Amino acid sequence: MLIQYYSLTKMKKITNIIISISLGAFLGFILTESQAISWYRIQEMFHFQSFHMFGLLGSAVVTGALSLIIIKKLKIKSVNNSPIKLKDKPLTWKANLFGGILFGLGWGLTGACSAPLFILVGLSWKLGLLLLLGVLSGTFFYALLKDKLPH
Amino acid sequence: MNKEPLAWYIAGPLIGLIVPLLLILREKQFGVSSSYRYLISLITKKPSYFSYDNKADSWQIQFALGLIGVGLYYFFTNDSDFFFNEDLKNNFPVDFYSLENWFIFLGGGFLVGFGARYSNGCTAGHCIMGMSQLSPASFIATIGFFIGGLIVAHFVNPILFSY
Repeated sequence: MLIQYYSLTKMKKITNIIISISLGAFLGFILTESQAISWYRIQEMFHFQSFHMFGLLGSAVVTGALSLIIIKKLKIKSVNNSPIKLKDKPLTWKANLFGGILFGLGWGLTGACSAPLFILVGLSWKLGLLLLLGVLSGTFFYALLKDKLPH
Repeated sequence: MNKEPLAWYIAGPLIGLIVPLLLILREKQFGVSSSYRYLISLITKKPSYFSYDNKADSWQIQFALGLIGVGLYYFFTNDSDFFFNEDLKNNFPVDFYSLENWFIFLGGGFLVGFGARYSNGCTAGHCIMGMSQLSPASFIATIGFFIGGLIVAHFVNPILFSY
């Protein structure tokens, strides 16, 4: 009994890992094929030269929002048969805005936000690791300053 | 080489579908940048920001491994023309993906990491997940992302690359 239970939870764990990796890969292929990982596309977006990136982000949000409405209306449950609960990000407007602006500065400079950054690690490891090193030091620096920053 | 990108009306909805897929299959809300905090929490627990119950975030590293894997796939199949799309380069005649720009990658990365953790989310967690939930924090953060990006694209990059 115990052994059976053990291997069952282990199986579940492995399945979960495979699902997470596959969804990451799924996102990676779409971001690469749609060229959203390209610095040139990000510059084009911030110069309003093409609708491509706006359409991409906009339709992603609309699809996400519609899915959430459907999940709520039909009371769709997760694979573990538990109801899907959503946590709202806490509203800390100063942190959201100031942090957001800093993130935007980095996004405009590197043309990479969080997901494209990881793709770049595989695609061009020297540049990707430089980015990752920057990102992790930025995170560490935030942790150091956290209590002194307006939130 | 010029390669047309996958159309936005196909790519966008597919990206949006990750929101319900993650919720149903993994009971997780879409986001990527908590992985930075998780990665550092594996090495050190100080400052106290890194001593937290990090198990809930471990899936983001698996997710990131999928992303890195895709990067490697394109690296080995040499199908990385999208970096050098000539149409785009006409508008921004810059050889951006070059080690000469190492300070941009390092410094820009620093801002991405700092900003994402400060605003409590990135393009994935705020723009896509948060706005799908109509969360006010995410609308404010997204406005911030665009303020920062517009400043850089119009006033900083033209000086850095003299175009």
